[in-house]
Amino acid sequence: MAAWVKGGAADADGAVQAAAAILAAARTPVFAGLNADVAAIRAATHLAGRIGASLDSLGSAGTYADLGALARVGAMTTTPAEVVGRADVVLLVGEAPRGAALVERLNATAPSRGRAAGGPRTLLRLDALSPLPIAVAALRAHARGHLADDHGLLALAKALAGAQYGAVLYDPAELGAAGVEMLQGLVMDLNERTRCFALSLSGADQDRAALQVAAWTTGQAIRVGFGRHVPEHDPWRFDAARLAASGEADAALWLSSRPAEAPAWLAGLPSIALVSGEPDPGMAEVVIAVGEPGAEVGGVLWNEGRAGLSYRAPAAPAARPAAAEILGRIAATLDARKDA
Amino acid sequence: MSVLTLREAPPERLDLHALTPLALSGLGQAEAERLPIGTSRRGLVLGDCFSVKLGGADELVIEGGHERLDRVGAALSAGTIRVEGDVGQRLGAGMAGGTLTVTGNAGPFAGAGATGGTITIEGDAGDHAGGALHAAKAGLDGATLVIRGRAGAHLGDSMRRGLIVAGEAGAFAGARMIAGTLAALRVGDHAGYGMRRGTVLVGAHGTLMPTFVETGTHDLVFLRLLARMLRPVSPGHADLLNGTPRRYSGDLATIGKGELWVAA
Repeated sequence: MAAWVKGGAADADGAVQAAAAILAAARTPVFAGLNADVAAIRAATHLAGRIGASLDSLGSAGTYADLGALARVGAMTTTPAEVVGRADVVLLVGEAPRGAALVERLNATAPSRGRAAGGPRTLLRLDALSPLPIAVAALRAHARGHLADDHGLLALAKALAGAQYGAVLYDPAELGAAGVEMLQGLVMDLNERTRCFALSLSGADQDRAALQVAAWTTGQAIRVGFGRHVPEHDPWRFDAARLAASGEADAALWLSSRPAEAPAWLAGLPSIALVSGEPDPGMAEVVIAVGEPGAEVGGVLWNEGRAGLSYRAPAAPAARPAAAEILGRIAATLDARKDA
Repeated sequence: MSVLTLREAPPERLDLHALTPLALSGLGQAEAERLPIGTSRRGLVLGDCFSVKLGGADELVIEGGHERLDRVGAALSAGTIRVEGDVGQRLGAGMAGGTLTVTGNAGPFAGAGATGGTITIEGDAGDHAGGALHAAKAGLDGATLVIRGRAGAHLGDSMRRGLIVAGEAGAFAGARMIAGTLAALRVGDHAGYGMRRGTVLVGAHGTLMPTFVETGTHDLVFLRLLARMLRPVSPGHADLLNGTPRRYSGDLATIGKGELWVAA
């Protein structure tokens, strides 16, 4: 097992002991990333509950933009497979969806099921000359018939209203909470007359997996803290970047067994990194290399295409420990310590 | 009058929602000092961070504020809390009545969901003052929120009832408003984003939403009533209604029954 303590190579036991020592001494530890398989996210959640840490995930800005709108106004959503099978009009909102693998599939296929089956598919774009949430609001005003002065927006609104099955694709991190709410409002307005659904493109990270684990473990979304021995949900207080910047966090555990860039603030406080690939030994005080789920070890991951959790066997099994195993060993070490 | 004096900068965020003048007056010295206020597993209590002097049920003074003091006055329903210094997030969030005054700055979500009483921030307020917490249906809901300095972005987001008066405000002031009144000497870009109903009165503004349309100037009895209501809170805001303010209607992306008045 590859592990480093303060930049120097260490054995597994030494690294686990050092990690436990950091966590035992901390007042307000923060666990960030959670870009891993379900078993590792569960182990991290249980360890956080054991020591009173808080949780945050890699893509939580986008996740919370979606959740905020969902909690307030609801959402009419669909899955990638449904869009490929049924949508005759697809609107790409903003820059981010254009690079999505789904768009290539949509370009290469035509609707094969439902009311639009056999017909062509039209892909449209909402370009943001003004900030994107403002452009969505203007489109919605045109779709409602309240404004008619922008011909481009009017054409988009007519295409969506005339669709058999419309779909709007967006990146919640790009659109923001207010913009997502406005877009969901547009979709709901369109459903007065035809079918239209929103599809949030959450990217390749494991935020959706973290969200599911958080929901079934604590009944809340991801940003939960266990400092008072009960799960408290507070998206502002438990924002990991804010906790680090304000100096409130005094230790961090970065869990990213899927490839992702570690945040710059990680090196600024006593920290532990559980990462795959070839880690930089200086990225944290304790660095432990773990197997990448779905590549080097097996694991349950968010499947973007199916919009669900599914097991992925290792493509090229490697003799690396799973992140969940390391987190379990850290928890066991803490249990054995008197000061934790 | 009870007085809490902060001894030093708190080592973690403190949750003061349980501290009201009424609640403290019913406690003995030792009981009060054992009130849990910490948010980490260290289990900090009131006596760890503050020196406590108990008094009558009408007023509580917190001497020495800090931006880590969260939810100050959140459970207030009667009486007065005065903070000499800064406070953290959720000042008076959900409070039902009474008077809450902060001489310094407040963190985000000040007055979120407050249903009654008056909150005065003599310094600046963070983002989402008078706004909605995550997943909350409404922001300020009947209380009066006065910010003498500058408010951050999303001032009065989703407010449903009550009055917000601010010196300056950032972008998206009055966003998603359901009802109520918001007055500011100056607001940033995109005021009234997604607002359904309600009244926003501004002296100056940044970029307007393309989904607001000008509906001209009007001599309405309502404006004189509004000025009369604003004058005791802030004469400067009442003066915005001198002359003939222009009215914009929006947000047309929604039902568009909100109004934005811009001082002449």
